[in-house]
Amino acid sequence: MEEPVKGTVTSLSSLVPAEEAQKASRRVLDAIYERREQLDQLKSFVADNTNLVNLVQKLPEELHHDIMVPFGKAAFFPGRLIHTNEFLVLLGEGYYAERTSKQTVEFLKRRGKVLESQVESLKAVMQDLKAEASFFDATAAEAVEGVVEIREDYVEELSPEKEKVSIAGRFTALIVAAPISAASFVFCFLLEHLPISIFLVDVRALPLGAQSDSPSFAVADNMEAGSVDEEYTHILSIMDKLEKEEEETENANEHSEDEQDDSVFGQRSPDHEVKSSEISAPSLHSKAESMTREDTFKNFFQQDFSDRLDDLSYVRLDCAIDICRIKEIVTEKADIVKLSKWVLEINVGKDGISVLGGWIGIEDLPFHLWKEDIFRKIGE
Amino acid sequence: MGSSSAVRELQRELETKADDLNKIQKDISKNHQVRKKYTIQLGENELVLKELDLLNEDANVYKLIGPVLVKQDLAEANANVRKRIDYISAELKRTDGTLQDLEEKQNSKKDAILKLQQRIQSLQAGKSKA
Repeated sequence: MEEPVKGTVTSLSSLVPAEEAQKASRRVLDAIYERREQLDQLKSFVADNTNLVNLVQKLPEELHHDIMVPFGKAAFFPGRLIHTNEFLVLLGEGYYAERTSKQTVEFLKRRGKVLESQVESLKAVMQDLKAEASFFDATAAEAVEGVVEIREDYVEELSPEKEKVSIAGRFTALIVAAPISAASFVFCFLLEHLPISIFLVDVRALPLGAQSDSPSFAVADNMEAGSVDEEYTHILSIMDKLEKEEEETENANEHSEDEQDDSVFGQRSPDHEVKSSEISAPSLHSKAESMTREDTFKNFFQQDFSDRLDDLSYVRLDCAIDICRIKEIVTEKADIVKLSKWVLEINVGKDGISVLGGWIGIEDLPFHLWKEDIFRKIGE
Repeated sequence: MGSSSAVRELQRELETKADDLNKIQKDISKNHQVRKKYTIQLGENELVLKELDLLNEDANVYKLIGPVLVKQDLAEANANVRKRIDYISAELKRTDGTLQDLEEKQNSKKDAILKLQQRIQSLQAGKSKA
């Protein structure tokens, strides 16, 4: 690096206080506990059902059975079970039907299938919750350890040479966004070294009008080296920005980074001493604005965590391509857009896929994919 | 003095708004429960309809009315169950509508509360400076 890149260092615990993360984790654990109870109940239903099937199959073996008939709460009298092939089956909602043993068994089997499907779906939900809980635990641990988040200025540099070198076998993944909720952190700190084919664009409209009225940018880079080098260099010759991006990603390591262009979320000047060396941040906004932003974040955390998670609206970019570099996300109304790798476990349970208008610039798309349906797919 | 009473007024407003928000949230949760109940009933009724379709024409169908099992006509039972399904789906749609309204109201209240909070903070900041 030729010149020192300025940036800010903020301790993770200031953004995601450890207690909050732990509280969220506990909440998720409670939810898991509830689901487990439901699961047990369903399993007992399934067991009852199988027992009943056996019984119903056994009864018609005799014309009549000698049994002890229960009489009241504490008495029995000897009796006989006749009409052993006639069953009154409860269909539901107070409706009974007379059926034979075989028909009853079929009915019970159908009911058993319904129960099984319910059990499966419940198990899937529990898996999601468990993943959430483990994530919250990880964040809490990280916050306690004092992991820091480093933001650096985006410095545009031109060096086509370095570019080609950097291609070979290097993956970077950057996710930038205003880390509004803890859920976004997993993406900030995940090192993704896989060819990413699916991106999640997390668009959160900040409810405060006081938030930045300048568009915010998110940059995500992900490349797969190797086989696509040729196409890559070919595109390079056409697009200049790529080279600058390349340089930038080299600078930025695995920490999140800010892109400068117009202003962004603002560099939070560290109010407290941080472990690493002091890096003075050129604050693009006035201090007051950064203050409100911090308060905003505090407010967010004080609200119910589950609310926050529910507010996430995910726009799914399904790039069925190995190379997909999404450079700029410019949205109107200063929404903050975050790109992150789509992890199956995290998101299955959430609903609310909404699309907010905006422009997404995709660069480095191989030419053979410049078709309308691909773009449409990306846009959806 | 003047500013502190303004702050206090704003805080009182904040409290009332917070109460309203709580009420709305309770309504929302009640609505959720009612909606869940309806969904379950709908599922059950659809199951019953399926089973009734599988029955032969001459099969006996009984309905449990209180402690009495009353023999019913298959066609009649079918019709009744269908009508019930329609009724429940209409109710479900209605509760969905009210749920949406309540959620919108909740959001607007949240915004108002946040704005109030901001005003209070700015006033307090101004006060502390002065």
